[in-house]
Amino acid sequence: MTLDLAVELAPNRPGRLRLRHPVLVAAGGAGYGNELIEAVAEQKPAAIITRSVTREARTGNRPPRMAGLPDALLSSVGLQNPGLEAVLHRQAPRWAASDVPIIVSICADNADDISAMARTLDMRPDASGLELNLACPDRGRHGEPIGHDVAAAETATVAARAVTDLPLIVKLIAGAPDVRIIARAVAAAGADAISAIGPVPALALDRDRAGARLGTAYGGLSGPTIKPIGLRVVYEIAQVVRIPIVGIGGVACLDDVLDYLAVGATAVGIATAALGDPLLPGRLGEELAAWCEAHGVSDTRELTGRALPRRKDRGSLRMGPFGR
Amino acid sequence: MTVLAAPRALRAAIATTPDPGEDVRLLETREFLPGRYLLRWAAAGIARRVRPGQFVHVMAPRTAGLLLPAVPVAGFDRAAEQITLLLSKEDGSALLALRPGDVARFDGPLGRGFEVDPRSRFLLVVTDTDGLARVRACVDEAVATSRQVALLLGARTIAEVPPSSLLPDEAEYVIATEDGSLGQRGGIAELVASYEAWADQCFVAGSDGLLRRVAKLAAGRDARMGVARLGRKRGRRPVRGASPRRRLTWLQVALPHEVGCALGVCLGCVVRGVDSQLRTCREGPAFAAPELRWELDQ
Repeated sequence: MTLDLAVELAPNRPGRLRLRHPVLVAAGGAGYGNELIEAVAEQKPAAIITRSVTREARTGNRPPRMAGLPDALLSSVGLQNPGLEAVLHRQAPRWAASDVPIIVSICADNADDISAMARTLDMRPDASGLELNLACPDRGRHGEPIGHDVAAAETATVAARAVTDLPLIVKLIAGAPDVRIIARAVAAAGADAISAIGPVPALALDRDRAGARLGTAYGGLSGPTIKPIGLRVVYEIAQVVRIPIVGIGGVACLDDVLDYLAVGATAVGIATAALGDPLLPGRLGEELAAWCEAHGVSDTRELTGRALPRRKDRGSLRMGPFGR
Repeated sequence: MTVLAAPRALRAAIATTPDPGEDVRLLETREFLPGRYLLRWAAAGIARRVRPGQFVHVMAPRTAGLLLPAVPVAGFDRAAEQITLLLSKEDGSALLALRPGDVARFDGPLGRGFEVDPRSRFLLVVTDTDGLARVRACVDEAVATSRQVALLLGARTIAEVPPSSLLPDEAEYVIATEDGSLGQRGGIAELVASYEAWADQCFVAGSDGLLRRVAKLAAGRDARMGVARLGRKRGRRPVRGASPRRRLTWLQVALPHEVGCALGVCLGCVVRGVDSQLRTCREGPAFAAPELRWELDQ
């Protein structure tokens, strides 16, 4: 039996984003990639999605920015980054020398910036793909994230798609009223793949209960606590689109990888758990290979979507998890 | 097989393999205050390299939670190849469940520690009970390099004052308690002025209020205090944050921090500096006071 763990994240652009195995580092798990690439000789992740970059530099949120909770991490970095040009100048030369594909995550609050950044990246040979993060507050909609609105998500996707031939992954957020509608819209607008989910908005109090633990009060919750939410979102998206999905949220062990594959993910992203264990994504790729061999699975496509309802049962899809 | 005889590719692979940490053996656990423990470890590699203010990541045993706990190195003895950690029960560290002889795995020393100017002869250390772990190693450094050191410690009551046995005999130990049950009544920051002219450098860790008060006292006074008095070398003034510039600063502080990756990539431990954002795990946890924006966040 020949084992084939390779997955294609942009089937419409064959070979442009083919991963050796389905476990990659999601945005936030490895900075801009080079820190991890240089530290890891073996057990390499399938790909690295960089921290989200904006067109101009951002200083980020006021500290404290991070609170460790049991089985979760609450953080509020606020998109601190030096701006796309600076990232490309400082980091991209080393991406080209790596055999790990680097997918650049971009975030903007308007279509012009998205277009400009996608156009810049399109001319770079060192970026293997583009992730469009829809968590950014929409400038025209009182700060509501772009990913909450169908039209805004569609416009953002079109803005990127129109100017680049790079594989385009659109990252959805869990808080959308109906993530299935957003997923359909971005797929129709030209996304090659969808990733979901990002951190979930949350709050933690300090020891004295005299205020919030983070400088911005709210933060994004990540880690194993949000895995059931991530599974729900991927499960819903997988039933309405035919493009690959990168399942993200609370992945920390092989069982989590198998769970996300079962609900329809083609690949799985790890961010928070990779902060404490940078070798984890690469190691889970190896563990998945061993598991497949032990269970007579020759292709990870056999694992993808096993937990989804059978096609004839999908009429119930008109109803969401809460009967909406 | 020796590494030297290995082919270039193999040597390159070895060189890029991340440091897997160091196995350290617990020698002693002692409860020095209710709920507060001193743990002494045989840790040859870390003891050799550590500087006051640095920390270790505890890789094993794993504590509940996603992130590796970052624990400041509270003391070291390079000759005996030992380090000391001070932990509180509230930290919930899995290290407290170990018995003498048990082995743990530490990654470190990490971060940038305090910079002691070679010309400094008199070191002042100011802290409170919670901050002691972050600055106590300055006392070991001072004693090991034959400097004079005074440690000023503030606590609410006598029940929170660590015993003097935690410090070497050479250190001067001065105490202030808020209720006056031991030492001077009041805050420890008020005693700093008495030592200001004596000290060449001052190292502080503790509550937000303590840091602010000492920083306020020292603000703008570098020109007439401490190492600045000892004369400046010729040449260009080093940039802010560089080690030589930090060494010239009278006041350095160690910030409390919750470290994420300790690689500098997660940006979770950032504090606001005067010029830019500073990562506590990489540019700190010890900073020169003038590097930080005190009014806003500290």
